[in-house]
Amino acid sequence: MHALKSVAGAAGLGMIGFYLGLGFVAVLRAMLGYPDAWGGEINIVGGYVFGLVGWLMGIGMWGIWIREWFGLKTYQRRAPGWQRYFTFNTDHKVIGIQYLVTFIVVFLLAGLLALGMRLELASSGMQFISHSQYNGAMGLHGILMIAVAVAAVIGGAGNYAVPLMIGADDMAFPRLNALTFWLIPPVAVALLATPFLGGIETGWTAYPPLSTTTNSSQILFDLAIITFGLTSILGGLNFIITIIFMRAPGMTWGRLPIFVWSMFVTSWLAIFFTQGFAVALLMILLDRVAGMAFFSAEAGGDPLLYQHVFWFYSHPAVYIMVLPGFGLALEVISHFSRKPLFAYRYAVGAFLGILGLSGVVWAHHMFTSGMPNYLHGPFLVATELISIPTGLIFLSALGTIWMGKLWLQTPMLFAMAVIFNFACGGVTGIFLADVPTDIHLHDTYFVVAHFHYTIVGGEIFALFAGIYYWFPKMTGRMYNETLAKLHFWWMFIGFNLTFFTMHLPGVKGMNRRVADFPESLDNLNMLVSISGWLLGLSFLVFMYNMINAWIRGPVAEANPWRARTLEWQTTSPPPHENFPEQPVIKGHPYDYGVPGSVHGVFPNSGLAGAPSGSAGGGGQ
Amino acid sequence: MAVIAPAEAHRPVHDHLKLNRAGLWLFFFSESVLFGLLLTARFYLEGIQREELDQLLGLGITIVLLLSSVTAFTAETAIEHDNRKLANWGLIATIALGVLFAAGVGYEWSIAHFHRDEAFGTLFFTMTGIHASHVISGIGILVLVWVQLLRGRYTSRDHWPIAGAVMYWHFVDVVWVFFYPALYLVN
Amino acid sequence: MAPKLRQIQRTGEQAHKEALTYFHLDTFHDRMRTAAAAEWGVAARSLSLAGQGAQLLHVRHLITAGLLWVVLTAVGELLVVADLYPTVGSHEAQDFDDIFRFLLLLGVPVMTFVFAVLIYAGLQFRIRTAVPTEDGPAMRGQGWFPRAWLAVTGGLAIFVMIYPGLTGLAELQQGDKGASGWGDQEAEVTIKATAFKWQWLFEYPDGTQVSVAAGKELVLPNETSIKFEVNAADVVHSLWIPAFRMKIDAMPGRTTYMTVKPNKLGEFASDQAYRVQCTELCGLDHATMMFPVRVVEPQEFESWLASLNEGGN
Ligand code: HEA
Ligand code: HEA
Ligand code: CUA
Ligand SMILES: [Cu+2]
Repeated sequence: MHALKSVAGAAGLGMIGFYLGLGFVAVLRAMLGYPDAWGGEINIVGGYVFGLVGWLMGIGMWGIWIREWFGLKTYQRRAPGWQRYFTFNTDHKVIGIQYLVTFIVVFLLAGLLALGMRLELASSGMQFISHSQYNGAMGLHGILMIAVAVAAVIGGAGNYAVPLMIGADDMAFPRLNALTFWLIPPVAVALLATPFLGGIETGWTAYPPLSTTTNSSQILFDLAIITFGLTSILGGLNFIITIIFMRAPGMTWGRLPIFVWSMFVTSWLAIFFTQGFAVALLMILLDRVAGMAFFSAEAGGDPLLYQHVFWFYSHPAVYIMVLPGFGLALEVISHFSRKPLFAYRYAVGAFLGILGLSGVVWAHHMFTSGMPNYLHGPFLVATELISIPTGLIFLSALGTIWMGKLWLQTPMLFAMAVIFNFACGGVTGIFLADVPTDIHLHDTYFVVAHFHYTIVGGEIFALFAGIYYWFPKMTGRMYNETLAKLHFWWMFIGFNLTFFTMHLPGVKGMNRRVADFPESLDNLNMLVSISGWLLGLSFLVFMYNMINAWIRGPVAEANPWRARTLEWQTTSPPPHENFPEQPVIKGHPYDYGVPGSVHGVFPNSGLAGAPSGSAGGGGQ
Repeated sequence: MAVIAPAEAHRPVHDHLKLNRAGLWLFFFSESVLFGLLLTARFYLEGIQREELDQLLGLGITIVLLLSSVTAFTAETAIEHDNRKLANWGLIATIALGVLFAAGVGYEWSIAHFHRDEAFGTLFFTMTGIHASHVISGIGILVLVWVQLLRGRYTSRDHWPIAGAVMYWHFVDVVWVFFYPALYLVN
Repeated sequence: MAPKLRQIQRTGEQAHKEALTYFHLDTFHDRMRTAAAAEWGVAARSLSLAGQGAQLLHVRHLITAGLLWVVLTAVGELLVVADLYPTVGSHEAQDFDDIFRFLLLLGVPVMTFVFAVLIYAGLQFRIRTAVPTEDGPAMRGQGWFPRAWLAVTGGLAIFVMIYPGLTGLAELQQGDKGASGWGDQEAEVTIKATAFKWQWLFEYPDGTQVSVAAGKELVLPNETSIKFEVNAADVVHSLWIPAFRMKIDAMPGRTTYMTVKPNKLGEFASDQAYRVQCTELCGLDHATMMFPVRVVEPQEFESWLASLNEGGN
């Protein structure tokens, strides 16, 4: 069993590294004369760092990469069939699937936590869990879901589809790509270990001074998220280089599929802003383990500094989440409407506009924080400006659908739902961006409803559009369309019932992050809880359909959707090098209904003579 | 088992270099946000105030680091002309100057009269510490590269590791060019 | 064109050939067009907005979808008249409700526009065949329409930015631009509020303190401007009174403030909007960091204060 050997070996090395690290720090501390050499949180930091290195070396980085630095010959563990998903595999298709499956599992786990929370919140008073368990579950739900939202579409769909769509044989740095995935399991382990160290008490935002004084689980949170930030940055870097340098001949920027554009812009966001999260958490880490004073007001620090640095990342992060979702939705909408993507240039411009604006709006999360009054106006203005480029995405989506030949298969339904849901999520964003309304709404369930509408309604729906869209390509098998449609309608209705209702308790006076609330809000919360469970159960259909189809679904065609982009012009699943030969791009990917148009050709293949423009509808 | 990573094998060499170089630049771009945020935090918390520092030492280590960039540059140009001997000495000098710089920072830490649990101390130790960690990793990379150079691995046409390590070294140097005045000179 | 069942292990070559069938979409389209023409006896291209008939068809679609938009908007605007809010307990609360309603008034048509197009398209433009047999018209969106869209949405965004955004903000932030808080910096009554894990301590101008230990109730005079000066003893908390629609964080190391003017008598026992609620996650008992509020007539307030002082506080 190659798979077992590789993962178990790496985990073993990781454990050894962990204890070595603990001990190493302890020895250092003893030498420096600290009284309690073993007890500090800094030991955990040392253990984590050593453990991480051990894990990475064990999983394959040593063999395929690091040996090179010492002038040794590199080698790669080869595993057959499904087992390759458990090795340090550098094929972008394998990595994409690794990402997707991992994050679906994380999504389900975190969703289960949410269902637990909704159980407690079904009525006022404390029924099932304690305040501390609730806080822990809430924080873990939040951060796991944020991780899902940041990485599932980018790491999963992005890794799988981007090289295929631009006609490349792989990403620019395949080993780096594998590294970004294999950094994820330690992150997951660290986060899932937090309940055993007292639970995340701070929510996903980790505001100090609470986070500098709370229990030790915070240290794992910091380490995990710094690592996670690293994968975002390295992944973004890889995408940018891939998209700039590895496009097929003829794939000009104006012919780039819109999903690739969205990934490109997102990657810039990721490499630029993610450092903010890392710096913010690093400061907390230093305050905790090294006795520094970034956020202690008595010693000249300032807790607001954290909020600025944190939101400097975390606002752009919401666009890191949603832009690939938009790209994916537009992509699917064009193919399934059988029309050119409407206002393609405007959509690209919208992505760039969001890229530009997203860096100057962060303090809209801090309107009631007690930051100086002169900051509110500029951030209000910038925040509301961002709805203009976002509106252009809607222009593109609605224009494409209008008068189209809509093939309402599951991916299309999900893509249309993205637009539907995000209209609601975006408009409620305007309520929050207006300071006079935000003063009341801040930190209420209105905000919770807003961001579930944007993240779940926008991005997670897009994620499912992508999963159904590329499932035949990835697995070579077809899912059951009836079950998939059932999943869609069930999820769509459950989602809107849950989260539309959730606005109401917010306005009526229910603050977030509480396990208990005034009984006057009982009815509304019961309704939200019931619909939340309804929503949760829809994923059973999804899981059944996916697992069943992957094992014994009917064999899929190479191009079941009759789509034009390159990934459909190769086998399902594609061969290791993606295409039998280098494709050459001749036209726009979305030129449906344009006689004689082609997107790409394989010039040397006997079948693939490029039709000359004059051939009109004649083709070959 | 032992197979060399195939995915990258069939791409032409120059293509590869271009990707590496651009990737490294992007990495610097991302890292400068890290350093930029630390700088911002420094001015956010303390304005343009600062504590008394050993000016002579500060100036000294700055010169040392700037010099090391020159020697690093020398090493790179030398290998471009297949002058291994000069490249060798260039790398050795760079590593030595780097160690000297790190030692200087360490000395500054030991004589600092402020403590890390006050605002300026927090900023000073964090900024110099994070920068020094980059210097030290840079030294590590240079040592690895230097060993490979001794084993004769590099030629004028194939010396990306040297070029990359030197680029990284320049970057770390440039960061210090911003940190030094922010920590030692403003006021 | 039902999916043929094939061996999953095909040679790359063979599958590649298959893929190419669709790859040269002109071929594909052509075949689709002929198929469609044969089926319905029409040239598929007639739908491409060029012909007179298509134009009329398009106008009809626009009108019906527009009607749908109007209907959905009418339904949606019920939200504006619906009673969504807690008790209006202060002048600020009245302002909030008005602004919120105004934003709903504008926001609902935006939402329903998107909904209407999606629903209409989903019903009217969907194909009824198992697989698509023809392409839609090649509308690329390069003419006046995107520009008009940009102008309308941009205008709308700038409009709400100025009113009620900036105008409302100007009302909320009078005086010192460097201060941190809402409303007038001068008020008739100033109450110092100190937040700590996990409760509040309030101090009236005469030095009287109320907390869970003393008084157990924050009593406020009606129709009087009241300024809260807020501090935090340990971590970040936030002071929120839903009936007043106002909130400001308690930040360690700085004093924030908010000024409100109650306009309605009320008390927590009968109306849970009258409560001071901590809204910034502050650890274990954040959820229960809540303090009852009672708004009384000013005379009653004076006598309450006096009685509290006599009581030996
Ligand atoms: C994918 C994630 C995502 C996205 C895309 C957005 C998009 C937006 N968000 Fe949201 N937001 C979150 C996720 C997201 N948000 C999260 C997670 C939080 C809470 C974090 C926490 O505290 O835990 C949050 C919180 C949050 C706040 C802070 C609330 C508070 O805590 O008090 C604010 C305030 O301004 C805000 C505003 C906006 C705005 C204006 C947009 C805009 O981008 C929306 C723009 C879109 C539209 C407006 C609709 C489409 C446009 C048209 C159809 C054109 C016509 C429309 C107009 C002209 C109005 N968001
Ligand atoms: C991607 C992002 C994402 C997603 C998908 C969700 C999904 C859901 N979220 Fe959450 N949520 C957040 C991101 C997300 N959330 C964030 C960032 C916060 C803020 C945290 C903070 O304040 O710090 C939050 C907070 C939050 C709160 C507020 C908590 C509080 O403030 O006290 C609530 C309350 O109702 C909630 C509910 C839900 C529900 C009911 C779902 C449902 O959609 C869940 C659906 C259910 C499932 C997906 C489970 C299905 C599983 C099965 C059927 C079994 C599977 C079996 C196995 C795994 C073996 N979420
Ligand atoms: Cu105090 Cu929450
Ligand atoms: Cu934001």
